[in-house]
Amino acid sequence: MKNIIELKNLHKVYATGTHALKGIDLEIKEGEFCILLGLSGSGKSTLLRCLNRLIEPTSGDIIIDGIDVVAAKGKQLRYIRRKIAMIFQQFNLIRNLSSLTNVLTGKLGYSSLVHSLTFPQHKKDTKIALENLKRVGLKEFAEKRTRNLSGGQQQRVAIARALMQNPKVILADEPVASLDPATADSVMRYLGELNKKDNMTVICSLHFLSLARKYGTRVIALKDGKIVFDGTPKEIDEKRFKEIYGQDAEEVEIR
Amino acid sequence: MKKENKLKLNIQAILTDLLFWIYIFGCASFLMNHWFEKVIPNNFVVIFGIVVGLITFILGISVGRKVFLPTIKTDRKWHKTFWGWSVFFILLITFVVGWNLVEVDLYKLFAKFRNAGGIMGGIFNPNTDIFVLCLSALAETIYLALLATVFAIPLAFILSFFAARNLMPRTFLGNTVYIIVRTIATVFRSIEAIVWAIIFSVWVGIGPFAGMLALMIHSIASLTKLYSEQIENIDPGPVEAIKATGASTLQTWIFAVVPQIISPYLAFTIYRWDINVRMATIVGFVGGGGIGLLLLQQQQLLRWQNVGMIIWLIAIVVWIMDMVSAKVREKLQEM
Repeated sequence: MKNIIELKNLHKVYATGTHALKGIDLEIKEGEFCILLGLSGSGKSTLLRCLNRLIEPTSGDIIIDGIDVVAAKGKQLRYIRRKIAMIFQQFNLIRNLSSLTNVLTGKLGYSSLVHSLTFPQHKKDTKIALENLKRVGLKEFAEKRTRNLSGGQQQRVAIARALMQNPKVILADEPVASLDPATADSVMRYLGELNKKDNMTVICSLHFLSLARKYGTRVIALKDGKIVFDGTPKEIDEKRFKEIYGQDAEEVEIR
Repeated sequence: MKKENKLKLNIQAILTDLLFWIYIFGCASFLMNHWFEKVIPNNFVVIFGIVVGLITFILGISVGRKVFLPTIKTDRKWHKTFWGWSVFFILLITFVVGWNLVEVDLYKLFAKFRNAGGIMGGIFNPNTDIFVLCLSALAETIYLALLATVFAIPLAFILSFFAARNLMPRTFLGNTVYIIVRTIATVFRSIEAIVWAIIFSVWVGIGPFAGMLALMIHSIASLTKLYSEQIENIDPGPVEAIKATGASTLQTWIFAVVPQIISPYLAFTIYRWDINVRMATIVGFVGGGGIGLLLLQQQQLLRWQNVGMIIWLIAIVVWIMDMVSAKVREKLQEM
């Protein structure tokens, strides 16, 4: 398998002086399901957002699918972004719009301005959007405003929006942190399915080891902006866990 | 850095003290002139102010020190301190000067009520014959307010995006555009609609068109500010999410920003129309046409019954507008 993501000596220093990433070197192969572990503030979100340049890295190289992300500008940056879908802890849907319109926004990277303003007229896009909603089990919610959906349903709409991008990589920033355990597992199941069936590479930050063991093929742990562990989920025992989360941490089980 | 800060605070304290005492002596000189017709030269006022200000600062008992350099013991009650008494004194002298400048005269207020008899009589006995004439002037006022609002909406809508800090990138170009739009909006807003009406009544002639232009300019400036504050308060999450799909900047604005602001925008706009109807009356007084102009004419002709009729109509329209706009805004909030 070839590397789909390569990071070399990636640094991020915020304007406030916080050194969030201190030289990350990382290679991720196509089709991996990477779990990012680490305390809040360890740099997980910053790392994920550097990958699609929602945050500008301070120095270092990012190569995704053979394209230099750091150097990309304008059209090329749009081209890279549409190949990298992102899922957020707070779902980040447009709450006043219907699920269908929210899913259609996943197509924005492919569409001209005029095309995107006339989405409802484009039968092909609408058809694909409905198929994606069906895939996450929400076809009958297409016309409903997303503000009226439950957390789990909103996150599934967000997954459908990601699917609309037809991405090679999915970045998930604590996608289940705002959900109850049962819903969390169902959302992770959808991500796992995309990883296995559609061969999408997933990088997902989490706090639950049980979910990491169930869905991850690889675990990368961050502490203070550095990688402190890189291996398989099975390798994380109590000692390693305490190294990542500090001596006082106790593993919380959710199934 | 500590040292620089201390120097800055000291300078602020001294300047405060100097201005404080120059102001007090200025007031004293005004009162001397007003009551005893004794003229105190201005440079005496300034010199006395500077001297007393410096002395109090050096002695460490001044207001400037109290505000900027908290070195004075703070547990003492204000009336046991020098700064406390000087603040009391400056408030007292300000009030006395104000009373004299405004020419407050309680005798006139109570003893000369008879002078207002004409207008009061007019209000309680309005001339209903001019009802139809008034209605046409009133329609002029309402429609000019409406047009001013309608024309202002698209311009303010577009400008507001450039006046929103969270949408303008922190590059040289982004900052420049932001500052220019913000500054123009602030300056235009701080010039009252009545001043704009004077300008436009000279420009395009007295009449409703001048009034419309005046209200439009003022509405653009103030809606731009209100709208852009609304944009600054949006949830940044969806903006991030739409950006991440590979959307262009314009697409991000349309899909992530606009849906979040549309209902507060409508609420503000209706509120603005409500304000514009009220301002249209005032603007009419200085050449903006409509009911305001009619009111001015009738008042100058001393036709108090007509004036009474007009006042009633204005009050009713403003009252109705107020209720309707409150109801609509309430409904929009629920949306």
